[in-house]
Amino acid sequence: MDNELGALTTIFTEFYYWITVVLMFLIHVGFCMYEVGASRYKHHQHTLMKNTLLIPLVTVTWFFFGWWIYWAFPTGPGIAPSIMTESTGLILGGGFGANELANPTNALMAVNLGDHIMGVFWAAFLLFSWTAASIVSGAVIERITTFAFGILAIAIGSVFWSIDAAWGWHFDGWMLKILGYHDAYASGVIHAICGGFALGILAVLGPRIGKFSSSGEPRNIGPRNPWLVCIGLFLIYTGFWGFYAACNIPIFNLGPEYGMEGVTYFTATNIYVTPTTLSGITMNFLLSLAGGLLAGYWISKGDPFWTYSGGLAGIIAASAGNDLYHPMQSLIIAGVGTVIAYKLHYWVEREFKIDDAVGAVAVHGYAGVVGLIICGFVLWGYPSSGYGVGSMWVGTDYAPINPLGMIIGAFIMFGVLGFLPGWILAKILHSAGKLRIPRDVELAGLDYNIMEQARKDERAVASSNR
Amino acid sequence: MATVTNWIDHLTASEVAGQVYPMVGSEMWWVLAGIIFWILWTVSTATGEAEEHEKLARKKHGSNDYKSNIAEW
Repeated sequence: MDNELGALTTIFTEFYYWITVVLMFLIHVGFCMYEVGASRYKHHQHTLMKNTLLIPLVTVTWFFFGWWIYWAFPTGPGIAPSIMTESTGLILGGGFGANELANPTNALMAVNLGDHIMGVFWAAFLLFSWTAASIVSGAVIERITTFAFGILAIAIGSVFWSIDAAWGWHFDGWMLKILGYHDAYASGVIHAICGGFALGILAVLGPRIGKFSSSGEPRNIGPRNPWLVCIGLFLIYTGFWGFYAACNIPIFNLGPEYGMEGVTYFTATNIYVTPTTLSGITMNFLLSLAGGLLAGYWISKGDPFWTYSGGLAGIIAASAGNDLYHPMQSLIIAGVGTVIAYKLHYWVEREFKIDDAVGAVAVHGYAGVVGLIICGFVLWGYPSSGYGVGSMWVGTDYAPINPLGMIIGAFIMFGVLGFLPGWILAKILHSAGKLRIPRDVELAGLDYNIMEQARKDERAVASSNR
Repeated sequence: MATVTNWIDHLTASEVAGQVYPMVGSEMWWVLAGIIFWILWTVSTATGEAEEHEKLARKKHGSNDYKSNIAEW
């Protein structure tokens, strides 16, 4: 950095991502409050610890291999050639972010006076990873072991979402080229995959004791503290501002990037390096929140839990195309996504006896899938990348956004990278006897020993006179 | 040990080295230490959790027994 303007741009970008990380931390605060509020008294502390521990576990594994995976897998490998290396193999070298730089032993993965971006960009992606694991965490409360959840959190937070991001949330990703996949604010790459992953686990894990009557009718359990749940969801909304901002590159000169001679065009871009504005996506974020809240209130007949969850489902449904939608399109798409997610939640619960304690599969998984499919129709014909326009299935150029590509993309996110790995890993943990806590522990409460000790301490203190 | 011992010398060098953390070149060993720490933590906590569950399960508490343990302080 030897001139003022270059330094200002670099430091602004560094600070921009740093702020997004701080804001996104609120997502996690919200998830912790939400889960504890939804769990029963006798499970509170373990529920909190389970969610909290995903922070260090996903962080260290994201440093060890998650970030490396993101930069290595855009080509599949073997599906479409990289525009950087022109090979379909794993990307193992190249410029910023390319893989030799993203491995944990590289000089840039530390304090380095020659680089101001790697660390904050790594951290922004890490906060997405925490979100991924946290989405799964809520669905499985009160009966999964902390060990099993740790393994599953690492799998979704540092492996599978990282692969899907490389495939469909990277300027060089094969899903853009072959399918015309577009998912600007992660309807699929975070939400649909995590909903699918959670559903795969739940299918093996089974419901909480007492959730279904002997005739199979579902019963409502809690939430114990609806106000904590609501504040938690409000904090998740707040953190989502950071999430949206982190999905952008704040300032980028697209002229030379696209090879347009003599053209200088500075703009904010989405993760695919196509132009958008922070101003426009702010409107779309708010209108999709509004659409989800209105639809959630209407469909649940004023239930606070589903009204708040509807706000989240609305944002998630509109997120795939919120870089380009009109605000009213965001509003309507959010409303449609919320209603479908709500209906599907109860249908799946009744038909398949799936006990999703916080509605995570619906709010994230179903709303995410619906959002991807709708995006394919509404943005039909838009280029999926600024680097070139081609046709579907070819792979050497970029296919335009289209309904079929988005439907296949939704299937890959929810089914192939979400449900399937979740189900397989849960099966392995189950067969090793490590997935679910013993029945007697579930009945007594995970916190029983802690509570018993606290009661003894209380009595001892109360009976003391010195 | 110290990578930088004089900032003026460091920043006026013909080529400013970006790496300023201690023990440049030993990154691989630090990463290995981190991986070992992570694995040991996992094994240790998994064992502890299984033992705790086994102990609690043996007591056969009912689903409402926890209510007599609610502290009020």
